[in-house]
Amino acid sequence: MAESRTSSPATRRSVLNLLLTMGGLGWLASVLYPVISYLRPLPMQGPSGPVGLTRAEIGKIERDKFAIIPVGTRRVLVFEDSSGELHALDAKCTHEGCTVRYVSGESLIWCACHNGRFDLEGHVLGGPPPRPLARHAVQRQADGGIMVAVSKA
Amino acid sequence: MRHLGVFLLLAPLALAIGATSSRAEEEFTPSEELTALLLAPGDDGEPLISRREREYFSELPPRAKELFDQAIENELLSEATHLREILSLGLSAPKVELLMRDNCIVCHTDPTAQDSDTLFSTDPESNGSPSHLDLVEFVSDVHFRRGLSCAGCHGGDPMDEDMADEIYDRWPEAPERHEDRTWIPAFCARCHADPVFIRRFNPALPTDQYAKYKESRHGERLFRAGDSKAAQCVSCHTAHGILRPNSPRSSVHPRRVPYTCGRCHADEEYMAGYVGSDGKPLPTDQLREFETSVHGRALLDRGDLGAPACNDCHGNHAAMPPEISSIAQVCRTCHAANGELFDGSRHKQAFERHRWPECETCHGNHAIAETDDSMLSEQSSPLCYECHREYAEDNPKCVETAKYFHASITSLARESEWLDGRIQPLAQRGLDVDALTATVGELRDILRQSRSLIHAFDRGEFEPVETRGREQVETGRALVAEAEAEYRFRRNGLLVAVGIMAFLAVVIFLKIREIESDT
Amino acid sequence: MSDASGSRGLLKWIDERYQISPLLEFVRHKEVPLGAHPILWYYVGGTTLFFFAVQILSGLLLLVYYQPGETTSYESIRYLTTKVPFGWLVRSVHCWSAHLMIISLVTHMLSTMLLKAYRPPRELTWVTGFALFALALGFGFSGYLLPWNELAFFATAVGTDSVKSVPLLGDWLLNVLRGGPDVTINTLYRFFALHICVLPIAAFGIIGVHLLFVQRQGMALPVGESEAPRGMRFFPNFALRDLLLWLICLIALSALALFFPYGAGIPGFEWELGQKADPLAPAFPGIKPEWYFLWIYQLLKEFPPHLLGIEGPQLCLVVVNVLVAIWALVPWLDRSARAEKPSAGFTDLGVSAILFLAFLTLKAWDIGGGGGADGQLPDPAAVARNSAWILAALTVAITLVRVSFFHHRWFILSGAALLHAVLHGIGGVQYLAAGAIAATLAAVAIGFLSIRARRLPPFAGGNP
Repeated sequence: MAESRTSSPATRRSVLNLLLTMGGLGWLASVLYPVISYLRPLPMQGPSGPVGLTRAEIGKIERDKFAIIPVGTRRVLVFEDSSGELHALDAKCTHEGCTVRYVSGESLIWCACHNGRFDLEGHVLGGPPPRPLARHAVQRQADGGIMVAVSKA
Repeated sequence: MRHLGVFLLLAPLALAIGATSSRAEEEFTPSEELTALLLAPGDDGEPLISRREREYFSELPPRAKELFDQAIENELLSEATHLREILSLGLSAPKVELLMRDNCIVCHTDPTAQDSDTLFSTDPESNGSPSHLDLVEFVSDVHFRRGLSCAGCHGGDPMDEDMADEIYDRWPEAPERHEDRTWIPAFCARCHADPVFIRRFNPALPTDQYAKYKESRHGERLFRAGDSKAAQCVSCHTAHGILRPNSPRSSVHPRRVPYTCGRCHADEEYMAGYVGSDGKPLPTDQLREFETSVHGRALLDRGDLGAPACNDCHGNHAAMPPEISSIAQVCRTCHAANGELFDGSRHKQAFERHRWPECETCHGNHAIAETDDSMLSEQSSPLCYECHREYAEDNPKCVETAKYFHASITSLARESEWLDGRIQPLAQRGLDVDALTATVGELRDILRQSRSLIHAFDRGEFEPVETRGREQVETGRALVAEAEAEYRFRRNGLLVAVGIMAFLAVVIFLKIREIESDT
Repeated sequence: MSDASGSRGLLKWIDERYQISPLLEFVRHKEVPLGAHPILWYYVGGTTLFFFAVQILSGLLLLVYYQPGETTSYESIRYLTTKVPFGWLVRSVHCWSAHLMIISLVTHMLSTMLLKAYRPPRELTWVTGFALFALALGFGFSGYLLPWNELAFFATAVGTDSVKSVPLLGDWLLNVLRGGPDVTINTLYRFFALHICVLPIAAFGIIGVHLLFVQRQGMALPVGESEAPRGMRFFPNFALRDLLLWLICLIALSALALFFPYGAGIPGFEWELGQKADPLAPAFPGIKPEWYFLWIYQLLKEFPPHLLGIEGPQLCLVVVNVLVAIWALVPWLDRSARAEKPSAGFTDLGVSAILFLAFLTLKAWDIGGGGGADGQLPDPAAVARNSAWILAALTVAITLVRVSFFHHRWFILSGAALLHAVLHGIGGVQYLAAGAIAATLAAVAIGFLSIRARRLPPFAGGNP
C-alpha cells in the first residue's frame, strides 16, 4: 500500500477504510456479475424462416376464421377475411400486450383487455393502443397448407 | 328312525373309507424284486443306487413306476447296475415312460445282456463302446423325443421281448455297412423325402434334402464314385444324437458347423488324395483360416448368429464350392449395399472380363480379415496398385484415385480420433461436450459411408461425402476451440475474482493490525 | 464502529423506537476469551455458518432453473450446467460447499467434544448442535437425489432401504419416505420439499437457537477455569478475523469449484451428472453413498442376516442408535466434566469415535481391494488389512501428538478401537466379533482401573 505523505494514524486509517470499501465493492461486483449473467434469461431459439401451420391450426381457421400461432417467442394472428383472403398480424396488442382476436362479423381486430380496436391491416381504429399491429407475410400453399413469415420489426 | 340315524352316522364314514381306499388303489407299491434292486448293495456295501436317485424314483408318477415292474416281469430288467443307468439320466416323467415302454432301449441298456458293440450307456468310452451309443445324447435325440423309437429306423416292434427277424433283414450286415455307406442317404430319405409323412410331425420341415444331396459334391463322390469317405447324413447329423439346428448342442448349430465340417475337411490325412477342380490338392486350412476371419470370430467367439458358417456360403445339403460367378452373389446376400455399389462401378465389367471372383479377389474367402484403411495404401497393401499396373497401365488416373481415397479416409479418421480424444478432457473440466459428441458421431457415420463408397471406385461419388466429412471436422474443431476458450475465460475469471478477494483479504488483515495497534 | 455522525443519527432514530441500546452495548462488549483454548477452535462454528449461507444463496440460484419432474429433473440440471452462463459454477459451488460445510461441522463438533464445551451450562448448545448435524446429513441425503441421475437413484434406494428395519413402523416409514414401496419420481418430490422447505425452516430455527445460546453464554473455557487471562473484543477484532477466514474459505471454494467441477474423484466425493436414472437398470458395481454416510453403509454390511435371533439390519440400527444416543447425551454422561474435573475418559471416547468412523470409512473405500476391473468384486480381506494398517498409522500419529503435546495418559477406548481394527484386518476375525472382544477388554480394563482407584465414576484419576 502506498503510504500517504503525512503518514499519520488518521490518514492511514482513512486510506485503509477507502481500500476496504473499494475491495468490498470489487468483491461484490465479482459476485454480482456471474449472478446477474446467470439470472438473465437465455434468448429463446425460434425458427428464423417461414413457418407452416399445423393441421389443427388450419382447421381452426376454417372453423373460426382465425388462429393464434406461436412463431418463436412471438404470437401471430392469422385470419381469413370475408373475401377468403388470408392476413397475418402480430397478436400482441400494442397497449399492454394482451392477445387480440379477430371478430369476423365486424371485420375488425379487437382486444378484450381495454377495448382496443384495429382494422384488418392493423391500424388503430379506437381505444388506448398507441401503435398499429405489425404485419406479417402469409401465403396459402398449393397443397392446402399455410406459411407465415414473421417480419423482423 | 334309529336305523336312519345309524345310516346317517355310518354313511360319511363309509364314503371316507371308500375315498381313501380308491386313492390307495392309485398308490403304487413296488414289487419285491424292484425294491431289492433299488436297495441292492454295491462293492462297498452301500446301496448301488444313490439316495438321490431313489428319491427321484419315488417322485415318479405311479404309471411310470409300474413300467419298471413290468420290465422286471418281462425279465428285461434284472440288474441294479442297469436300473442305475436309467435312473441316473434323471429324465422327466413323460420321457421315462417313453423310454421304459420301448423294450429295445430297455434291453440295449442292460450291461449284462449286451456287448460293447451294442450297449447304450451314459459313458460309452469307459465301456469301449463306439461314440454313437451314447445314452445321454440319445434321450435328447429329436427322433426319440417325438416317439419314433428304435423300431422306426431299425425295424421290429418295441413291445417285443426279443429281437425280431425283421431287424436283421432291414439293417445291412456289419462290417459291410461300415465300409459301404451308400445306403445311408436313401435310408433317411425314406421318411425325410416324403412330405406327406414328415408333415405329420413337423409341417415346416423341408423335404428336399435328399434331392439336393444327390446334386452335391458329397453326393457325387458317394453315389457316382462309390467313395464311402464322402459325408452323408450321419456324418454331420450323427446317428443317435440328432438335434434341431437351433439347439446349441446340435452338431449342425451354426456355431458348431465349422467344426462339424472340419472333422473331415481340416484333417490332412483324411483329405489326402482329393483334388479340386483346378487339379490341385484340396486345402485343409479352411477351418483355421475361418477361425481367424471376421466371420469366424463373430460366430465362434462372440456367438453372433448373423455371421455366416460354412453352410451359409457353400450350402449344406447341396454343398459345393461356389462357382466364380456365384461367389459375389453369396456375399451380396448380406453385404447388399457394397454389392450394389460394385455392380455400378467400372470394376464390374473388368472383373467379369478377367473372370475374377469379385469380392474374394480383394477380401479373400475363408480368411476374410477385418477391413482396414491400410488396404488402400500403396505401402502396406499392393491390392489396387499392383493389379492396376499390370492390367490397366493406360489408366494412371485410377492409381491416383486410389491414393486419393486412402489419403482422404485416413485424414478424416485421424481428425475424428483427435476430436474424440478431446471429449473426455473437456468434459472432465466441466465443459459442455454435447455438440462435440454429436459431431464425432456424425463423423463416424461419414467414415463408415465413405469406406463403403470405395466399392463404387469413383471419385465423383466419393467427393460429396468427403466434403460433408470436412465440414464436420471444421465444426468439431470450432467447437473444441470454443470450449477451450470458455475454459480460459473461466480460469481468467477465477484469477480476477481471487485477485480481488486476495486484495480484500490483505486489506482486512491490515485493518485488523491497524485497529489493534491503537490499543 | 464507524464514527460518521450520519450513522449515529440512524442508530439513534432506531433506538428511539425500538430501544436497541442494550443490544448495542452487549455487542460492543462481547468478548472472546484468549489464552485459554487455542483461538483456532472458535472459528470453525463460523465457517460452518458461512458455508451454510453459501448453500442458501447457491441453492436459491439453482432453484431458478431446476425443475423437479420425471422428464425435467435431470434435463434441467443438464441445461443448467451446459447452457446457462455460470450455471456450472453455481452447481459446482453448491456441491463443494455442501461437503466443506459438513467437514467444517464435524470439525466443530469434534473440537467441542474434545474441549468439553458441552458441560454445564452449555448442554443444550451441544444438543441443538447435534440436531444441526442430523439436519445437515438430511440436507445431504435429500439433495443428492435431486439431479435424478443413476448414482443418486441407487444411493437413495440403498439408503432409504435401511428404515425398513425400524420395528413396527418400518414399512410405513419406508412408504412415506419413498412415496411408495420403491424409489420413484414421487420420492424426488418429497425429498425436494424436504430439501428446500422443511429442512431449511428447521435449520434456521435451530441455528437461531444455537447462536442465541452461544451469544448469551459466550465461549467456553477449559475445564476447571472460570476466567480467561485476556479477552478480545468480538466487534470489530474477532469479527474481522472471522471475515478474513471466510474470505479465504471463499477463495478455496472458488478454486475447487473451477478446477474440480465434478468433485475430488474419490468415491463418495464426486457428483458427475452421468446418466439419467433408469429404475429398470441393475445397480452398477462400486455404488457408494456420500463419504459422510460410508461408515453406516459399511457397518450395515458387517452384520450377518441374522444375529442373536434378530435380523441383522435391525440389530445394526439398534447399535447405531445406542452409539448416537451416547454421543448426544455426553453432556450428562460426562460427570467429571460436569464437576469441572479433568475427564480423560471422554477425551479418549472422542478420539476412539474418530478411529471407529475412520476405520469403517476406509473399509468402505475398498482401498487396495483390487476391485472394479472386469466387474470383479474387491477382496474384503485385503481391504480390511489395508484399512487396518492405515488406521494403525493414524492412531500412532494421533497418540504421539496426544502424549507429547497434551500429556494424555488415558488410552483405553482409543486402544480398543485400534485393537478392533487390528483383530479384524490383520487377525482376520469377523468385524463384530473383533468389536465384541475389543469392547469387552476395554470394559474389563476400565473396571479394573476403577476398582483400583476405588472410586466411581471410573473416569477420574488420569491426566486430561
